[in-house]
Amino acid sequence: MSRTYISRHPLDDLLPLEPGIRAVDHLDVPRSSAIVSVMAMDGEEASVTAGLAASGDVSIRFTGPGEWLAVSQSETPESLHRNLSLLLAETAYFVDQSDGRVVFRLSGPNVRRILAKGIATDLHPAIFEVGTSSNVLCGHISINLARTGENEFELIVMRSFAIALFDDLKVMGREFDLSAGFSVRG
Amino acid sequence: MASLIHCPHCGVRPKEEFSIRGDASLIRPDPEASDEAWNDYVHIRSNPRGRYREHWQHVAGCRRWLVVERDTFTHEVFAVTDAASSAREAGR
Amino acid sequence: MTAYRLASGGLIDRSAPLDFRFDGRNLTGFSGDTLASALLANDQLLVGRSFKYHRPRGIVTAGPSEPNALVTIGKGADSDPNTKATVAELYSGLDAHSQNRFPSLKYDFGAVNGLLSPFLGAGFYYKTFMWPAAFWEKVYEPIIRKAAGLGRAVLERDPQAYEKCWAHCDLLVIGSGPTGLMAALTAGRAGLRVILADEDFRLGGSLLGETARVNDASAQDFTETVLAELRSLPNVTMMPRTTVFGWYDDNVFGAVERVQKHVALPQAKLPVERLWRIAAKRALLATGAEERPLVFGGNDRPGVIMAGAMRTYANRFGVAAGKSVAIFTNGSAGYRTAADLAAHGVEIAAIIDSRAEGADVAPDGVRVIRSASVIDTKGRQRVCGAVVERSGFEQTIACDAIAMSGGWNPVIHLACQRGAKAIWSEDLKTFLAPDVGNGLVVAGAAAGRYTLAGCLKDGAEKAVVIAADLGFSTVSHTAPAVEGEIDPSFTALWYSPGAKAKAFVDFQNDVHVKDIGLALREGFGHVEHAKRYTTNGMATDQGKLSGINATGLLAAMQGISPADVGTTTFRPFYTPVAFGALAGTSRDEHAAPVRKSPLHGWAQRNGAVFVDSGLWFRPAYFSRGGEKTWRESTDREVRNIRENAGLCDVSTLGKIEVFGPDAAEFLNRLYCNPFLKLPVGKARYGLMLREDGMVYDDGTTSRLSHEHFVMTTTTALAGGVMSHMEYCAQVHWPDLKVRFCSSTDQWAQMAIAGPKARLVLQALVEDDISDAAFPFLAAGAVTLRGGLKARLFRISFSGELAYELAVPAGLGEAVADAVMEEGMAHGICAYGLEALNVLRIEKGHVTHAEFAGRVTPDDAGFGRMVSAQKPDFIGKRLSTRYGLTAADRMQMVGLKPVEPDQHIRAGAHLLREGAKPSTLNDQGYVSSACFSPTLGHDIALAFLKSGRERYGERVVVWDKLAGAEVVAEICNPVFVDPGNTKLNS
Repeated sequence: MSRTYISRHPLDDLLPLEPGIRAVDHLDVPRSSAIVSVMAMDGEEASVTAGLAASGDVSIRFTGPGEWLAVSQSETPESLHRNLSLLLAETAYFVDQSDGRVVFRLSGPNVRRILAKGIATDLHPAIFEVGTSSNVLCGHISINLARTGENEFELIVMRSFAIALFDDLKVMGREFDLSAGFSVRG
Repeated sequence: MASLIHCPHCGVRPKEEFSIRGDASLIRPDPEASDEAWNDYVHIRSNPRGRYREHWQHVAGCRRWLVVERDTFTHEVFAVTDAASSAREAGR
Repeated sequence: MTAYRLASGGLIDRSAPLDFRFDGRNLTGFSGDTLASALLANDQLLVGRSFKYHRPRGIVTAGPSEPNALVTIGKGADSDPNTKATVAELYSGLDAHSQNRFPSLKYDFGAVNGLLSPFLGAGFYYKTFMWPAAFWEKVYEPIIRKAAGLGRAVLERDPQAYEKCWAHCDLLVIGSGPTGLMAALTAGRAGLRVILADEDFRLGGSLLGETARVNDASAQDFTETVLAELRSLPNVTMMPRTTVFGWYDDNVFGAVERVQKHVALPQAKLPVERLWRIAAKRALLATGAEERPLVFGGNDRPGVIMAGAMRTYANRFGVAAGKSVAIFTNGSAGYRTAADLAAHGVEIAAIIDSRAEGADVAPDGVRVIRSASVIDTKGRQRVCGAVVERSGFEQTIACDAIAMSGGWNPVIHLACQRGAKAIWSEDLKTFLAPDVGNGLVVAGAAAGRYTLAGCLKDGAEKAVVIAADLGFSTVSHTAPAVEGEIDPSFTALWYSPGAKAKAFVDFQNDVHVKDIGLALREGFGHVEHAKRYTTNGMATDQGKLSGINATGLLAAMQGISPADVGTTTFRPFYTPVAFGALAGTSRDEHAAPVRKSPLHGWAQRNGAVFVDSGLWFRPAYFSRGGEKTWRESTDREVRNIRENAGLCDVSTLGKIEVFGPDAAEFLNRLYCNPFLKLPVGKARYGLMLREDGMVYDDGTTSRLSHEHFVMTTTTALAGGVMSHMEYCAQVHWPDLKVRFCSSTDQWAQMAIAGPKARLVLQALVEDDISDAAFPFLAAGAVTLRGGLKARLFRISFSGELAYELAVPAGLGEAVADAVMEEGMAHGICAYGLEALNVLRIEKGHVTHAEFAGRVTPDDAGFGRMVSAQKPDFIGKRLSTRYGLTAADRMQMVGLKPVEPDQHIRAGAHLLREGAKPSTLNDQGYVSSACFSPTLGHDIALAFLKSGRERYGERVVVWDKLAGAEVVAEICNPVFVDPGNTKLNS
């Protein structure tokens, strides 16, 4: 007997199925993302850094020295894992985190004021530039924060904390009528 | 206690992102070392007023262990370095 | 009626009247009023009763130092006690109540304390209520509590929302008076990121009540011009209604913003208060100076008001504090108040000047009495006259208000909050802030520069230096020109001699001059001792008005300099901050994040009753129709697993992926048992020790490839073990080539246990999982039907034939549903933590209930696991010390009650039969206990002295809490299947 298994997103019961009214400040939640932990082998930090820089449309998020998250909205977890293995063969270790992490994309004119309610890091546009990423504490929860656009940030959180972070973000965004919904793209 | 710590890998961060383990000058003795050496290492701690080197982990950030050199009285932080680099330098 | 609203003037909007209530009276004020200015405009001078003597008290200041005008605003859960009327912004519908009076403000029973005042001097409590000690709690304290005290905290939960926020800037300017405004403007123009914070709802500080002209405009117009330019600068953030209350390490400032304290109906989407943590590269303290009260007889009578405050009420709020005002001053400031009041048409009854001479000019026709002092005041609930003494002659001057001016105290609190001591200036006769480095620079009146022109100049100049320090260049601007400058000179007067009534130093705590003298005479002359002995400065105002006067008095009484007395210690908070603001959103469900397992929804659908487990919610048991207690459900689950099969969510166990050529060596040093030779495709139980030789954590670790292991930890210590491994790898053995990361959240992991576990799983797994192909402790990748890649481990906590199946978390629920579906024919059930606990106790398996921090591997029966061959591992050296190998250590045993219907509870202690319960006779303790459905009676795991030699003996299980003593038989801790036949089937 063949079986198919339907994947669930942790916010399935919390976000509407259909996209609702979008406020200027919006929390966009991709239903699925391919995410891989990349850890450079000893002494290979520089070559892995260079290799990742050349990895095309894969977003690279800094998590610690010699450690990154590679994120893709277009690839499957398997293909991302495979492509990275080919690209960085014998220089890095990989752990699939596609199911272990949840991506939140926060955008809008008030995005910094919202994030300042949980994050101590200075997010001034001239200081936290587009492309910057780092692990930070948001309220009580450790996340990876990346600036992905002029007024757009991505928060990557451990799956088990996704609902708690979502609840926190709703409170942080309440002042600006923050809307939230699953990503239309995927 | 400092409010902000300059993590060598992540930049300036609030103290809430860190956890503190304690004296960074202790070096794990050789397994054959004397009872006294091991007793000192495991059980005996000084509580100095003034300059002190401590192991802090950037637990909500890069998760690296750091050596934070600070003054326990004035709370001034003099230096924050990666603990592995310090350990290598100490020839561990 | 004496205090009244002036016909014109002030920064109030007379077209916007606001209705409010005070003690049930309907009153009207205007937009722009504080509660205090509106009360004064309504001639409501009496606003409270004092703390100890219940004396009538009135408004004294126009700012945050107010000691008397403390009211409760709002009702019930929403009320704010001890709110200073002098800073409370008036709004329509504001409902305020006076405090510390019974039955009413006008007729207060507690005033009898005033008659007893000879007995209520300093140290009264210490002397009177010393004996007997037991009386404190039962007799003295309730009486004192009832008689004393200010506002009452409500017991209901606060319905309002609060939040916390971070801010960052190059320059934080604290205070928006002339100094702060010019600093913010200069820095803002230079391009610095500037935050300008002020506690007032209107920016401008002293300029709002100033009559001097700046740059050929009124001070108020000048303020508006500067504010307009600041508003136009995108790099400047202005924060009115924001009190910077604390200066912390690394130039982080705490501030509280009153977002919605000035509205009757707060918006739900906004907090009422917001706590800011401001990380500032530099800060400028431009908090101005506080006028010093004069200490004279009867100085606490309602109607005695600070001269500067009276001026502010007239100029800023258009309110006269009286129709005929007497002014008692030791400097020029009194004359300035006289001039402004006179300009508003208020009669000046007299200026009583303590100085013999001075160049100050009194308004036309006003009588000046020099070398004089006020020695008493007349009136009951408000002043009606001042008794003035000059050269031994007394005269009573009729008046309905007295303005007092005793000089200036720079507001330096923040600069002294990190341990630096204030420095006495003999020149200025006050305490100044010490040099606290370039992080916080004090400027303007806060630095003792009292003139308006001096403030404007100092603010701009210090901002230029700060900007240059931070690498910004500034354009030079000419300093604003001031017309009608202020003369701040005064002659210090700590105590006006000849008082004929109590001369108060601390209005809020009812401390008067004689109390200070008494403290000195009784040996409590040190400024910190005197504070505690007299309670001077210990009320909610923390001595803002009284502190320096107390120092001056202590110095004068001893004939020494105030420099030798010093000040008491400044600490945050500058003004009180609500607990709600400090908690922010961290309350209720936001107090700690909840972690949810990927199988949470599956468990919910199957009837799980959840229990907190650290941050996690884990199923305790799964209730089925008709089951009334957790025991019924748990017993059913246990029996079913021993007979059929069950599925339990174990996703919360920590999972750590370990890679590298030295991964095996690393694990070998981390665990006390060997891991070097663990074959690929195998799992092994591992025991981790602390360096002191005690067990730290346990779990199974599997080798997936030569250089890749996956470790599991207990749920409780998942984070701790990860940090421990990181410490070992980075600090102890930085040269080992090993990398690891947590994959806990990637996997949904389920234990499938029971004699029919294989039957259930084989229907789902494509690979051969027969005992031959996948024996006990096998581990590896498998493919589920449909092509899903999974990890399978043959490990067992229950002692049954069991597997742990891990699938990507998003698919967890679907796979768990599939397992349940395939298992239905085999009688599978979902089981929770309670059943898991019973199953493992029956099998003698340990958890952190056993590994409680004082247990060695040998104590728990794992002595032979500890490798003697390995040269080193964490805990090796100290695990061989004598105390850890002594023969009489407590060892883990099983216990069963001799009478099978008797119960054993965890935590009970063990005694020899007939022995009296005592520490000396203690034989051990019960670590885990449960009812065993398999055996039909209670069983327990316990630690007992030399326990393994004592199987068959009896002990008394002594449970003081439950009041039970049960005789139990000592036995092997493995109650079920000691031969492991089920496990290996």
